[in-house]
Amino acid sequence: MAVKSLLAHRLRTLLTTLGVSIGVGTLLAIIGIIVGLNAAFSDDLAVMGTNTLWIQKFPWTTPEWWLYRNRKDLTLSQIELVRSQAKFLSAIAPNVNFSADVQYLDQSVSRVWVIGSTEDYPIAAGHDISLGRGISQGDDDNARPVAVLGMDVVDGLFHGVNPLGTSVKIGGRPFEVVGLFQRKGSLKVLGQRPDLKIEIPIHAFMGAFGRARRLSAVASAVDTEHLPAAMDELSGLLRRARKTPPKSEDDFSLNRSEQLAKMWKKLTGALYGVVVAVGIITLLVGGIGIMNIMLVSVRERTREIGVRRALGARKRTIVMQFLMEAATVSAVGGAVGTTLGLSIAKVIALVSPLKASVSPLAVLGGVGFAAMMGLVFGIWPAARAANLDPVEALRYE
Amino acid sequence: MLISLEDITRIYTVGTEEVRALRGVSFGVNKGEWVAIIGQSGSGKSTLMNVLGCLDTPSSGRYQLNGHDVSHLSDDALADIRNKEIGFIFQTFQLLPRETALGNVELPLVYRGVRAKERRERARAALDKVQLSDRMHHRPNELSGGQRQRVAIARALVAEPSLLLADEPTGNLDSTTGEEIIRLFEELHTAGHTICLVTHEPSLAARCPRAIRLSDGMVVADGVGRDVAAENVAERARIAAQVAAAR
Repeated sequence: MAVKSLLAHRLRTLLTTLGVSIGVGTLLAIIGIIVGLNAAFSDDLAVMGTNTLWIQKFPWTTPEWWLYRNRKDLTLSQIELVRSQAKFLSAIAPNVNFSADVQYLDQSVSRVWVIGSTEDYPIAAGHDISLGRGISQGDDDNARPVAVLGMDVVDGLFHGVNPLGTSVKIGGRPFEVVGLFQRKGSLKVLGQRPDLKIEIPIHAFMGAFGRARRLSAVASAVDTEHLPAAMDELSGLLRRARKTPPKSEDDFSLNRSEQLAKMWKKLTGALYGVVVAVGIITLLVGGIGIMNIMLVSVRERTREIGVRRALGARKRTIVMQFLMEAATVSAVGGAVGTTLGLSIAKVIALVSPLKASVSPLAVLGGVGFAAMMGLVFGIWPAARAANLDPVEALRYE
Repeated sequence: MLISLEDITRIYTVGTEEVRALRGVSFGVNKGEWVAIIGQSGSGKSTLMNVLGCLDTPSSGRYQLNGHDVSHLSDDALADIRNKEIGFIFQTFQLLPRETALGNVELPLVYRGVRAKERRERARAALDKVQLSDRMHHRPNELSGGQRQRVAIARALVAEPSLLLADEPTGNLDSTTGEEIIRLFEELHTAGHTICLVTHEPSLAARCPRAIRLSDGMVVADGVGRDVAAENVAERARIAAQVAAAR
């Protein structure tokens, strides 16, 4: 009965359905994108390493960098002191870097992140050597011109040639390739490329490219469980090495990926709120569309309602009849909208690195919510229909 | 006695004014009677029809239908009484435009909770009674006025109500078709149905065995149709001529 009367006004029903579809579709697509973004971000954090600490002048969490610019840079001896005494760190390595062009024969890769560090770098930064060897103590002591390449650099320079033993030019100076870093993959949300880097001995770096560069350090806790202990210890050791006055705060920052996660949540929390609100408003507009169409339908069918009442339909029966219509429109709209939302999520997953996905629960929720919306927005028109005076309704022109 | 009205009043309030549509109406109708209710517009016959049809409740008085006191029932109970006891036939047919003839006739049975198969069979039988078996899958807009009214009569008969309540059943029909419908009523009367027919046409009332005339919300005449239909002798002669011509 509900279907029959809906089919009688195809265009009207179609448009109303479309309103609900767009609402449900938008909401599901938004949820899919959010889920995808969050998944990509956790992937990024995993790539960065959850046990890794970056000891730097500036904290990641506050954008007011000028508050910290008077801090003194780290020194190699401070890092050495921490290295020799820390119990909760598996490794700590100094880090100087700059961005340079790298060449091999006629091939070239630009803007490679060139890092001067020590043998401890792979463990400290959580970036293993996959082929050849890492920088050794001897390389650093003698400032040997040797380099360990990230896979993006290898891809850009060597096509089918074994990179080990070859000589590449970094900023115009020759370095021998002794090892390769394991491929990490790029950070999708943060947009960095951890494979587009080269490590060289820190003393070779300073000899070749100058000493007047900011020194920072990277360290790894022995395990995630001991991360807080490692941070306490690191902070204590560094304060002692830097002679930080006892009551003043740290004059360095211990950065880690979790802080990014916090900032991410803070940044995106509000955004998600707004976007989900937009989705819900779209749905409400769809719901008002249903209410509107049901009111028109009730008015148009006033006589029909009168006839049904005269023939013995109770008020409840009339309410049910109109609610069924409203729920049918919304549920169909919800189903179409779900398909729409899923397709949008699929398309986004295909054309972008985001793994936008909609869980089955969200689908069920979408259709269920739409049907419920039909009931909520249908109840008033339905009640109006049922409360018509049968005598008046029969006389209605 | 199928219908028993005792001192029925119905008072509406329109704005601040009280409209006394029925002012103490009492009469009874036996099973199998065919009664016309006549009166000019404003006489209260529409209000009486609504009360008789349980679409409206009296302000005071007692209305017994088929042994039930229906004067002060709840809305749901009235809906059930309408479904069981009353078959409505309207001037404007009041068929649902999107349903076929069969669908329309099935409707009272839907509200009685009869199963689909039985519903279909009984609706077919009812359409058969009004000679519309060949039109049962047509929608109202594919039927002539006379056919539509016969569908409506089938719908009124299908649930086997104790009372057929017809409101100007020939009002929207030409005289030939109207005559067919009146013949159908005569057959129904012969078959034992109780019929109340509201009309303002004296010639129609004159063909009913009994007629009740309303004026100003009160019964002013109750007797043999032919006598009550005419208010004076001259009119009686004119109506007799009309009735003769129609036959």
